[in-house]
Amino acid sequence: MIDLITPQSIIANLRAGSKKQALQELARKAAELTGQHERAIFDVLLERERLGTTGVGHGIAIPHGKLSNLDHVHGVFARLERPVDFDAIDDQPVDLMFLLLAPEAAGADHLKALARVSRLLRDGTMCDKLRGSDSAEAIYALLTQGEASHAA
Amino acid sequence: MELINLIILVAAILLLVSIFTSLISFRIGAPLLLIFLGVGLAAGEEGIGGIAFDNTPAAFLIGSVALAIILFDSGFDTRFSSYRAAAWPALTVATLGVVITTSLVGVAARYALGLSWLEALLVGAIVSSTDAAAVFFLLRVGGITLRDRVRSTLEIESGTNDPMSIFLTISLVELIASGGTGSPWHLALLFIWQIGGGLLFGVAGGGILILTINRIRLEPGLYPVVSISLALFIFALAATLGGSGFLAVYVAGLIAGNAKLRGGQSLRRFHTGITWLSQIVMFVMLGLLATPSRFLDLFVPAALLALVLILVARPLAIWLCLAPFRFTANETTFIAWVGLRGAVSILLAIVPTLFDLPNGQLYFNIAFLIVLMSLLVQGWTIRPLAHWLKLIVPPRIGPVDRVELELPGQADYELVAYTIREHSPVVSGHRLPRWARPSLIIRDGHVQTVHSVRQLQAGDLVYLFTAPSRVALLDRLFGETRELVEDDRQFFGDLTLKADITVGALAELYGLPLSVRNARLTLADLFRQEFRDAVEVGDRLRMGAVELIARDMEDGELLTVGLALEPATPAAGFRIPVIPRPSDLIQAIKASRSRFQFRLWQRRQRRADRIARRQLEADAKKRE
Repeated sequence: MIDLITPQSIIANLRAGSKKQALQELARKAAELTGQHERAIFDVLLERERLGTTGVGHGIAIPHGKLSNLDHVHGVFARLERPVDFDAIDDQPVDLMFLLLAPEAAGADHLKALARVSRLLRDGTMCDKLRGSDSAEAIYALLTQGEASHAA
Repeated sequence: MELINLIILVAAILLLVSIFTSLISFRIGAPLLLIFLGVGLAAGEEGIGGIAFDNTPAAFLIGSVALAIILFDSGFDTRFSSYRAAAWPALTVATLGVVITTSLVGVAARYALGLSWLEALLVGAIVSSTDAAAVFFLLRVGGITLRDRVRSTLEIESGTNDPMSIFLTISLVELIASGGTGSPWHLALLFIWQIGGGLLFGVAGGGILILTINRIRLEPGLYPVVSISLALFIFALAATLGGSGFLAVYVAGLIAGNAKLRGGQSLRRFHTGITWLSQIVMFVMLGLLATPSRFLDLFVPAALLALVLILVARPLAIWLCLAPFRFTANETTFIAWVGLRGAVSILLAIVPTLFDLPNGQLYFNIAFLIVLMSLLVQGWTIRPLAHWLKLIVPPRIGPVDRVELELPGQADYELVAYTIREHSPVVSGHRLPRWARPSLIIRDGHVQTVHSVRQLQAGDLVYLFTAPSRVALLDRLFGETRELVEDDRQFFGDLTLKADITVGALAELYGLPLSVRNARLTLADLFRQEFRDAVEVGDRLRMGAVELIARDMEDGELLTVGLALEPATPAAGFRIPVIPRPSDLIQAIKASRSRFQFRLWQRRQRRADRIARRQLEADAKKRE
């Protein structure tokens, strides 16, 4: 996780009224972090949603996509203040989002990052803890500590 | 007079005790048939009942009638769609598989019991057929849904392997009775007529059954009686003329059950009831017939034979028969394990006694013990095994409160009643499509007009007329949405994709390997190509590091595909297939060959390079 996110890439209280707005906010944050165009990021995410929802159930979404000028895989985590409808596979509204952006030539790294995030957010107690904490530092600590214990 | 009353009293008590002890079966997950057998044993001459019953001909008569009814109902409840999914694998197992099982158990019986070859093969033939009722009862009680192809294979196999096993048994008994004289040609002819005659009478009988029920106006209560009497008539006529009566009655049931019948639902209900009765009667009676004290001497050889049957003969037969078909190692293992033996085996074990063969009792006792052990060992482990092998399809929707009502004289539409569930899509505001508008709504016991109800609430009772094909869609609207569980993710993968996106787009997004030929196909096309038009939910395709899984289907069309990011590698842990599939072996050989050819090609290239370089150097030297 440490190579995917930094304390700066966490939004502890995202306000969004819709799926589109939530993705827009994430794209803005990602643009800040990577120095890429916000619009380009947003388009990539929308394009991916068109292939099938990234709302994987239990209130979690993992929007992701590929971007040409990145140096490595970037992540942004957001905890939504109020859940939004996301067309998730279980029709439940989403309140935890983990955005992943991979460089064009990422190959296996993209899949590996996705698998790691998916595995981490599958843990119910972890998600409860994430929902309960409202500071970026606390969330960062949770995400990275979870990874350490998973590796062990 | 008193004796007759006493007999009726005893029979009724036995029936009631069997039915009530079946409640225990639901609790502890024991195979129900085991309990019925137990009731019979307990009531028998050495049990608490002390009933001395050893009338073998009567037992065979009652057993045959019961088996004919059970097979008729089993055919009646098998959809043609099951045949589309699994006809070839199932029929291979039911014919070739039975022969293989018979031979292997026969070899074991030759040495374990010290019988002659023919007698030993007879033991093998007697225990070679499986009993599906036992398997499906256990799966139903556990609320377990198996993959369609596995389910259909087991269902068809157990319905069609009885005639084969019966044929083998009777032929062997006749061979032994005639002192081993009989030409193979004669036997082959006999076999062809048995199967051919059985099929012929079955098809004709099925047609007659449909005509009788749909064309002749009778007192409504008589239809079920007509159907059962016709079934027995078909059975007996085919058998009298030398065909296989059991095959005929199964085929007749299959054909009638797949047609539109007048009063089909009440017919089905009646059949279910009478099948239960047949099962109970047959098992209790067979339990009564047994004398447990004679089992003691045979316990060791019987246990040995049961082990050979469960661990060697059946798995090997299944592996050989299913190898050409598309089954995963886990599925093959499961099908191999759930070859439960049942009533047919014990019933067939009476035949040697009927023919006055030497050691007639031996066959009965051996078969009885093997069936008992199979029910105990395999019956009790089916559910955990299905979980362990990950063969359970997670249900797509939660509980549904639905009642289907038959409309007199209406075949295309039916009346369906739903009680709206609390967490159903309609309650949480899902728009009702036009075809799902109820005709009648009952709220708090009062009839409401459709227009006065704005929004359906939990607990509302709605009635609607609909085509039977829409019922599955209505279930989704009015039933509970189901919470996702961990099993889902394992079964359907981490992400979902629409099936109409192209393979190329997917490969591009995740950097997956891909052959140019497939790039333009949609995911739905890819599945159709790989599974030869018989795609079903849960089918998996490997694509580089990930796996694609058929997730949602409607009318045979694939709608969404799951993507497993970290598919379980079969090599991890103990869950290895007992035997690899031949197609895997061929794959491995092909792969190593192409690697070898690639290396040759590399070597040739290098040599060519070297020669060219030397040539260049030589040329350069010359110029100097």
